Amino acid sequence: MSVFEHFPEISLHFSKSQGTPIYNEDGNKLGVLNDFFVDYEEIYPVVLAIQYKKNKQFFYIHWNDIKTFSYKKIVIRAGAGIGRSRTYPKASKTKIINSLLANQFQGDTVEYPALGKVILDRQIVDTSGKKVVRVNDIQFIKTGKNLRVTHAAVGIRSMMRRLGFEPVVDGVFRVVKPKAKYLSKESLINWKYVLALPDKSVQSNVKVSLNTEQIEELHPSDIADILEELDNHSRDALFNDLDPKIAAETLAEVDEDVQNSILKNKNPEETAKILENMDTDDAADILDDMDIEKAEQILSNIEDEEIQEEISELLEHEEDSAGGLMTTELFEVSKDFTRSDVLRLIQEKHEELESIYDLYIIDENNKLLGTLELRDLLIQTDDVTLGEIMRTKHMTLVSPASHWKEVAEVMDKYNLINVPVVDDESGELLGIISVDDILHRLLDH
Amino acid sequence: MAEENKKRHKTMWAKFIVLMGIVGPGLITANIDNDAGGIATYSLAGAQTGYRLLWVLFPITVALIMVQEMSARMGIVSGKGLADLIRERFGLKITFYTVIFLIFADLGNTMAEFAGIAAAGEIFGISKYVSVPICSIFVWLLVIKGDYKVVERVFLAGCTVYLAYIVSGFMASPDWKMVMTSVVVPNFSDIKESDMPIIVGLMGTTITPWMQFYIQSAVVEKGISVKHLWESKIDVIVGCLFMFMVTLFIIVSCAAIIYPSGVSITGAADAAKALEPLAGKYASALFAIGLFNASIFAAALLPLATSYYVCEGLGWESGVDKSFKEAPNFFTIFTALIVLGAAAILIPGIDLFQVLIWSQVINGILIPLILLFIINLCNDPDVMGEYTNTTTYNVFSYGIVGLMFIVNAAMIWFEFIK
Repeated sequence: MSVFEHFPEISLHFSKSQGTPIYNEDGNKLGVLNDFFVDYEEIYPVVLAIQYKKNKQFFYIHWNDIKTFSYKKIVIRAGAGIGRSRTYPKASKTKIINSLLANQFQGDTVEYPALGKVILDRQIVDTSGKKVVRVNDIQFIKTGKNLRVTHAAVGIRSMMRRLGFEPVVDGVFRVVKPKAKYLSKESLINWKYVLALPDKSVQSNVKVSLNTEQIEELHPSDIADILEELDNHSRDALFNDLDPKIAAETLAEVDEDVQNSILKNKNPEETAKILENMDTDDAADILDDMDIEKAEQILSNIEDEEIQEEISELLEHEEDSAGGLMTTELFEVSKDFTRSDVLRLIQEKHEELESIYDLYIIDENNKLLGTLELRDLLIQTDDVTLGEIMRTKHMTLVSPASHWKEVAEVMDKYNLINVPVVDDESGELLGIISVDDILHRLLDH
Repeated sequence: MAEENKKRHKTMWAKFIVLMGIVGPGLITANIDNDAGGIATYSLAGAQTGYRLLWVLFPITVALIMVQEMSARMGIVSGKGLADLIRERFGLKITFYTVIFLIFADLGNTMAEFAGIAAAGEIFGISKYVSVPICSIFVWLLVIKGDYKVVERVFLAGCTVYLAYIVSGFMASPDWKMVMTSVVVPNFSDIKESDMPIIVGLMGTTITPWMQFYIQSAVVEKGISVKHLWESKIDVIVGCLFMFMVTLFIIVSCAAIIYPSGVSITGAADAAKALEPLAGKYASALFAIGLFNASIFAAALLPLATSYYVCEGLGWESGVDKSFKEAPNFFTIFTALIVLGAAAILIPGIDLFQVLIWSQVINGILIPLILLFIINLCNDPDVMGEYTNTTTYNVFSYGIVGLMFIVNAAMIWFEFIK
């Protein structure tokens, strides 16, 4: 006799099963179905137990102890073990534990929260649609004797189902517009793209497994958009779990207010670590918005002295001026370098450089002697030195005090992707401004 | 480029709320509370009862402080909006019906704001067929297309205009000694039966459902941390006291000038007109400017705020930065509230009075419910951690709910049955 003897459908909805009466084999009612416990570590979590509520107390029954399951009634085998708890103790064979799961291990078991409590009506990240959505319903599928979670439902249809309007609304659509998308397509998110967010309202020692790899595959700009939509707690939880490098890139992309809210709860050492991983101009922008005391504290905690120095130099310039906009990570070379020297340098240093397309040739005092586009170098022979082919006349330069609008005009006029910033008196090369530093200001304008 | 552009607009609402936050969420919320409906009620109170009911403002202000404090504390501790929390705690069904009622109540309130704009315009001889369409288009464009900086200046300026009422109050040169005594000493013996609807109205227009949602989002967007719980309490108290002052001065202006003359008025515009022969055209003009400012302020914010809460609770995309295709529900609700709100004022022969009463009734049903949600959430350790309500606080809070329930039941009784 199968557990699904009286349940012919293939899939099951959380909303429709909630409230189903639970009986024992003698026909006595135990309570009504309230929630499910699932194995969060699986991609399509299998149902481990069901939760029911009686006299304001919560109990769980193992799935294996269920004799038959349907929307009408659930029958429990004689002698089934019933546990009284809001959470479900899941024996763990210590699979992959991410940092979010780590602190909930006590001995050999993990206390799992119920599925509905952490997913239903809550915000999740849809890593495939790259947005934050609220879950209206959860869909399961029958696999042999088991139930597995397959989708989170988010559309208007699942909302109607929850509200109990489904038969009426479906009926109206069938009469008025039988081919409506509403009837044929439900907005579902495949469970493998569902990223549940630990919530403050779930007791801190029980958290849901997060599949953070999914989110780290997204572009930092997309992660930034997601962070902007979340509440502070979820935002911090998600951000703190990101790989440091991705975290830094993401932080550079988020809105100023969100940056502040993320950094507010971090101490100067933590903030310094994040800033070290960022481009220096972005890091300087962030520090520039803070009050001086705090910014200095963070700056002094940056371990890499070179980065520290670059950032503090950038901080001395006005935010709207070329000096404030420029990055100091540029491709500086000596005039004696040959083509092969340069190519080797690119291989070694490409990670630190924002752009490799323009080369800046300087003397020992950092004075700018000439510039060279990478493509002009590539067509030369291996032993040619930069001094022989660099451009020295009519170099387009800007001064660190120039307003960004002037810089934009210069770049537009000469069709430049990068423009060097040079000290008016000494001729020292200070940094470069690339077109993407200017673009967002132009759009804001 | 599209990406950057999107980001630029992304958090205009967030920025706006943060700005409001810098001024103080409590202060702003209290300011918006003195909207067209509020001013009408205060004018009536002053003109019909003189200084007699001033003492009522005191318990109302205390109740308002307590309610606002809970919402603000909840926002700070949970980091979530009220609609979010109601959805997560009570599920979709309860959220859905709450939100439906909220839309109707706020639609009524929006109509009241446009009625206020129409009335203020007519004092200066501007036809409502000119002022209302222009203002509704202005409000819509300001919010949807407006540059953040422009919006910022417009609303900051708006806040200071509330001071007009205080100036207007001084110009009325009331009997200050009597004002002071009336505020501090409750005078139960002089209450007449006809005062009841006014007391009821004062409470009903002061503690409204939507401002609880508003203050909580403002606090969340500001990102105030638990460390600053105390500063936030002070902000709430200062805001409520400011509201108390503005309310007091409106009542006092009308009480000092209109009440002794025995002129009967039915609303804020009447009050402004009645002030002219008695206190001079400047007092009257200040009064009208105050009304216009309060109305347009609320007419812009109320529909915007409502659309946000509805979308937040039902899990729909929202944000003025999004395109219509990305957030269709948000824009539909926002635009519909403004269009219906403005149109209702312009349709000849429509019984606006009925509409306003119905919206008040829905408000009245909603407010005790919203307060119960708030108290329930404030006692939930899952949401509040260690910052749940104390027993004493709960006793007072339930007292307020009981009082609001009675007050609103009384309001319905007075306006329907009598």
